[in-house]
Parts: sequence; structure tokens; C-alpha cells
Amino acid sequence: MKKSILILSAAALLMAGCDKISPDDYTQSAGGGSNWTNANVHRAFVEKYTGPKCTNCPKADVTLDAAHHQFGDKLIVISVNYPTGQGVPWAGNPDLRTEDGTAWSQYFGISELPAAYLDRGTKQYTGSMSEIVSDIEKVINQTPQAAVAVNATAEGDSISITVDVELYSQLDGGLSLTLALTEDSLVYKQSMPDGDPDENYVHNHMLRDVITGTWGDDIPMEGLAGEHKVGHFSYKVTNSDIQLQNCHIVALLSRKSDRSVINCAETTIN
Amino acid sequence: MKNKRLLLSALACIVSGVAGAQGIMGGHVTGNIQLDGQMSHADSVIGAEDVPEHLKLNARADILYTNGDFSAGLRFEAYQTPLLGFNAQYTGQGIAHYFVSYKAKRISVTAGHFYEQFGSGMILRAYEDRYLGLDNALLGLNVTLRPVDGLTVKALAGKQRVYWDYGNGLVRGLDAEADLNSLVKPLSDSKLHMTLGAGFVSKYEEEESIPSAADPASRLNLPLNVGAAAVRLNIDYGHFTLQSEYARKGQDPSKINDYIYRPGEALMVNMSYSRRGLSASLQAKHIDNMGFKSVRSQAGEMLFINYLPAINKQYTYASLTMFPYVTQVNGENGLQGEVAYRFKKGTLLGGKYGTDVTLNASTIYGLDTVQVGGAGTEGYTASWLGLGQHYFTDASLEVEKKLSKKLTLTAIYCYQEFNPAVEGEEPGLYHNHIVVGDLHWRVDKKHSLHFKAEWMGSDSRYAPDEGLTDRRAGDWLMGFVEWSIGTHWFLSASDQYAYNDGTGNYPSIAVGYTQGTTRLQVGYGKQREGLLCIGGVCRPVPASNGLTFSLSTSF
Repeated sequence: MKKSILILSAAALLMAGCDKISPDDYTQSAGGGSNWTNANVHRAFVEKYTGPKCTNCPKADVTLDAAHHQFGDKLIVISVNYPTGQGVPWAGNPDLRTEDGTAWSQYFGISELPAAYLDRGTKQYTGSMSEIVSDIEKVINQTPQAAVAVNATAEGDSISITVDVELYSQLDGGLSLTLALTEDSLVYKQSMPDGDPDENYVHNHMLRDVITGTWGDDIPMEGLAGEHKVGHFSYKVTNSDIQLQNCHIVALLSRKSDRSVINCAETTIN
Repeated sequence: MKNKRLLLSALACIVSGVAGAQGIMGGHVTGNIQLDGQMSHADSVIGAEDVPEHLKLNARADILYTNGDFSAGLRFEAYQTPLLGFNAQYTGQGIAHYFVSYKAKRISVTAGHFYEQFGSGMILRAYEDRYLGLDNALLGLNVTLRPVDGLTVKALAGKQRVYWDYGNGLVRGLDAEADLNSLVKPLSDSKLHMTLGAGFVSKYEEEESIPSAADPASRLNLPLNVGAAAVRLNIDYGHFTLQSEYARKGQDPSKINDYIYRPGEALMVNMSYSRRGLSASLQAKHIDNMGFKSVRSQAGEMLFINYLPAINKQYTYASLTMFPYVTQVNGENGLQGEVAYRFKKGTLLGGKYGTDVTLNASTIYGLDTVQVGGAGTEGYTASWLGLGQHYFTDASLEVEKKLSKKLTLTAIYCYQEFNPAVEGEEPGLYHNHIVVGDLHWRVDKKHSLHFKAEWMGSDSRYAPDEGLTDRRAGDWLMGFVEWSIGTHWFLSASDQYAYNDGTGNYPSIAVGYTQGTTRLQVGYGKQREGLLCIGGVCRPVPASNGLTFSLSTSF
């Protein structure tokens, strides 16, 4: 009897223990267009709260620029213009404050600048944020729980966006997708650490608008590993100051329960 | 009468209860504690970087409770912050390891964390090496059955530790080993002793999306269950021993093999002859795509399910370990031979006390491969005996001679060829000649001295302007002296100096005190950057300049 149990156990393990895939099936269509490449990467999302009259904000920019240099497209940053105080624009300069950015900063209880959050976690980074770099690396080294890919094309002032989401793990509690429009190379006056404002400071990753709801749109997924969903969005640019050639679309896949970011992706607008 | 019976029953209950309590409260507790600390400051000459936290600490305490067939244990670990060279992901503290275990004649069960090995480890070896910062412990259930004398069956399932977390992959394994002389009656008195074993390990991991190299818009169709099986046969006959194991792994596209679908295989054969005064061995190894991790997307040293033993001789001398060989899990062919002979006392070469001479040689090559594609393909084809890139060769002659009752001398000459490609660096070949002299002098009953002098001549060069940045390169002189005073104290001083084509001078001193099972050691000096390897598994050791200390005790 004991021998039979042993043999049966061994046979069960052997039968369950090895999948064989024929060469014709090594690959399968993934959807997501060209941006699906490296979609399996766990990217880190940093939202940085900044303001044109914040003297220490350029220090945070230096840190995050260096992090960008180190991690490449595995790091996605959105700079959010704080709604009051140091976030108020200098006279004659563009106003980059947004309703969604205001809601985000209120949710996190931002009271000093600069401030940042990583993947919408619980830790707030302030000052030069040097410690954020090692935390970004930890996030990037984690096995992703989901893949996100985003493609965007523009025709005139209309943008068509396609987002692919594929879950690798079971994710309970509901998911949401946030799409944001960011713009680089915005030149306007910025207070500097030495006290003298720089009239020609280059601002990158600035939040211009949130395309979905402020905290994203619900994704109709059951949260099961292997689930794949494609979503199509369209957006009309109403602010004529926005230069689409300098813009990106950022896609954030988040948990509805605590708004933490599971994975993210970014694309230029073609 | 009835009342008396009740009273006796109650007393029996109380007595048995007390006895039971004593059973639980009995047993004994053992353990050990180790604390290692390091302070280092920047030194641009040797490439040491500043340690902003000033003090780095690794600490651990193992506690084991044993009571008859039952045991339970836990290990507390703290890395605040980890010593230089240990992965920063260890930062933190807590109970890293715990288990309960029952071990009887026919069955052993462990629940919690456990270490285990099937055969030589080519399909499964969960182990820990504190000096490498490596812990592949499985958290789960491990059962060993010994249904009859001579037969051992192991079954396990669990997830592997990765720093302070666990890998997503689920590891399941089954192994059986039969001592044929115990199981087969006609063999019970035979001089021929045979052990036959077979094992199977499977890992399950959830789906993930890996892009195909050929078509970025496609993703790989990954096997969720990956299996590896091995058979092994060990034979002893008189002075002869044969140990052999063959392992095969199913399709296992992973980060370490660049997501190719080629199955893996490995063969290890070790033949040896040994009699008094003479031993000889010949070992051969073939590895082809046998890196086996419980998380396919994980690079680095953690989460290996298996272990591929090193084939070259493992030395402890600094010069001989300057360029250690790192096992190439993606593919290598290797051969090692060793002959050891003892010249008897009273002979010309044996002298008054006898002389031991050991000749060892090993050579390791990569596979001779033809590439057929990248991720999402078979990867390459390779012939079994074909030789690709030359990775490593060494040949050494070691002579150990007791010169007098108080003096023992060991002398080694070693020739080495080392290809930095095994460390992921630009391919090349360093040619090193190494000479070691090691003298132990027992001065009197209380004092002894230990001297080591080492020289290495190498055609490797340190020339950062030309992109040659390996600080181990060049010609080296090394010296070491240790003075032991009684059973308690020792003092030592050493220096490693790159006198030609290299860089750096690495003096250091150390003092140690031992009292019973407690040992304290404090050192100060410079540490050369390099690799620390144990059995072909390595971790980088960054340069440092400062104080180190170590305290260990057991109870």
C-alpha cells in the first residue's frame, strides 16, 4: 500500500511537473502595438509636486534627472504644479496648475515643496530626495504584477490612445486606469537654490491634464492572472499653448482600494 | 472504594500531566550568535567608497530547541546596513528562518524553513552560505521517508527565500535513493557497494509577458511548469569509487538564458582511487543551459533551485583565489585530475616525517555553440564534447613537509589561465604564475607562529586610461604573519602589494581573543576589491579601508 501511494505520488508529480511547448507556439501575439516591447518591465512612477517659487525644487529635479539617466524609460515622472503658495506662477508666466493636480496634492496632504510619492505609496520624499533613487531601483527590480503598454497618435488636436493591460497575478479589489497628458521643455521663471530666479528654467514632465477621471477610470477586469484588456480613448486638446510634439501620454494602472500604482507606461504622441 | 478509585485516577491524571509538562519543558536549547561589523572610509587609490552610515552590521542568532524526536528553531537576522558586498536588499531585521521538525527512524517531517539537497544538487540544493550572503531556504514542507532499511524517499514543496521576501515560484520535488547492498540480499556482503538515486523537481510560476526578440509585438508563450530530473549512481569497489549524475531540465526560458527554449542538461562523473599513501581522481563535467531558478525573471545569485558544483580545486590562499572560477550555468565543459602521494618516512624524499605531494590540474571551456536566435527560439545548438571559449585552466604542485617536530612547510606552485568573460567582463586570457610558501612553527607549548609568503606574476595589467580597470591585475607580493599565544590570543599582520602593472597596497592587522566558544576578532586595514567564491558561487567584495570586527559565540 505504501509503495502504491509513493508510486502514485511520483507519477502525479511527474505528470504535473513539466510543460512542453512546441517550437511553433514559442510566441504569441501580444497586442499593444510596438510599445508592448518591454511591457513586462516593472516601471516606477514618481509624481513630484513642484512650484515656480520653490527654491529647493530644482534640487529635486537634479536628483530625478540623474535617476532618469540611470533607469531610462523604467522611470516615469509627472511634475505637478502645487496649487497655492510657492506653486503660484510668477507674473507674466504660464499657469501650469490643474484641477486634477490640485486634487492629487490635497489627497496626499502636501504641505511643503518639493514633495514626491513613489508609485503612490505611503512614503513622502522631500528636499533633494536623494533616498528616492534606491527606492526606485527596488521598485524596478520587483517582478511586475501586470504589464501596461500605451500607444498614442494625433490628428490635428485629437489624440487617439490605445492601452493594453495584462495581469500576471491575481489582483483583487478592482483596478483603475489613469491617463495623463504631460509636457516637456516648458521654459519659464523658476526660483533657484541660490535665491536668484532663473528666467529660462526648463520644466519637464509637467502635468497638463488628466484624460480619464482624476483617479482613473474603472477597468472592467475580474483581476485574474492572464487577463488581457485593450482600451481605446480619445482626447481633444483645447489648450492652444500645448505643443503635442513635446507631450507624452502616461498610463497608470492602480488599485482602486488605496490608489497605489501597480505598473505604468509612457509614450510620445505620433 | 469508588472515591479511592476516583482519587487515584485524578492523581494519575495530574502525574501524567506533570510528566507531559516535563516532557515539553525538558529537552535542551542550543544556539549560536554572530555579529560582524565594518567601518570604512573613501580611498581613491584602492577604489573604496565612503560609507555614509559609518558602521555596517550583519548579525544573526540561531536558536535550536531539541526534545527527543522533536526540534524547533529560529534565526534572527539583522543587516543594519549590510556589510559591503552584501546585497542592499538585505537591509532590515527580523526572524528570517523558523521551523518545527519531527525526526523518527522511518519518517522525518519539517514544516517551515528548510534546506535540502538531491544528489550533488544539480536539480535541487536549498542551502545557505552566510559568507556569500546567500540563502535559498525553502519555506514549506519537507518529508523524508525511510520505509525500509536502505531506501530513502524525500518529498518537498515550498517557496524560496529572496532576502526578506519569497519568490513567486512554487518548488515541488521528489527524490529516492536506494542503497542496493541493503535492499538486495545477494549484494549484502559484496565488496561492490552501489547506491542508485533519482530525483525530480518541478517549479510552477504564473504567466508573465516577455517580448519576443524576433517580433516585439509578440510575447513568449512561457511554460508555467518547468521540470528537471536527475539519475545518479555511486559505486564503491575496494579502492575505487565512481560517482556519477546526469540531469536534464525541460524548457525553461528565463532571464539568465535570455529566454530561450532549449532544454538543459548536465553530467558529472568523478572517478577516484585511494589507498594508504596514494590517491588519484578524475572528474568531468558537462553543463548546458542548466541554470534553474524559481523566478524566471530574476538575475543575480538568489533564487537558484539547483547548484552546479565547481570542478576546479578550491584554494584558500589569497593569490590562488585572486581570480576564482565562477561556474557558468549556461554552459561549460570541464575536466579535473588530481594525484596525491605520500613519500614514506625514512625514504630519500620522505625524510624523517614523510612528505605529501599533490599534483592537480583542471581545465574548463565554454560550449561550442551555433546561435539560432534569441528570446523565443531554441537559442543555439551545441555538441556534447565540443569546446568553445577557453575559460580557465590551472595546474599546481603542492608539497607539504614536516621539517621537524615544530616546523611544517607547505609550498605550492600554480600556473593559471583565467578568462574575465566568466565574470561577465570583456573576454581575454590572463596567464598567472603563483608561488606560495606557508610555514607553521610551534615555538613552544604556548606560542606558535604562522608565516605565509606569496608571489603572483601575471600578464594582466591595471591601466584605467586604456580601459583596463581590474584592480586585481599585475604582479603581486603578499605576506602574512600570525602569532598565537596560548589558546586565547592571536595577533596577525598582512600585506598585499601590487608591485608591477597593478595598483594598491593593502596592509592590515588583526587581533583575536577566544574564550571557550566565544571568539572576538578586530582588524584594521585595507581590503582589495575582488570576488569571494565558495564552490564556484561568488559574490563581489568591494574595496574597503577601515575597521572590521567579528564576535561569535555558541551555547
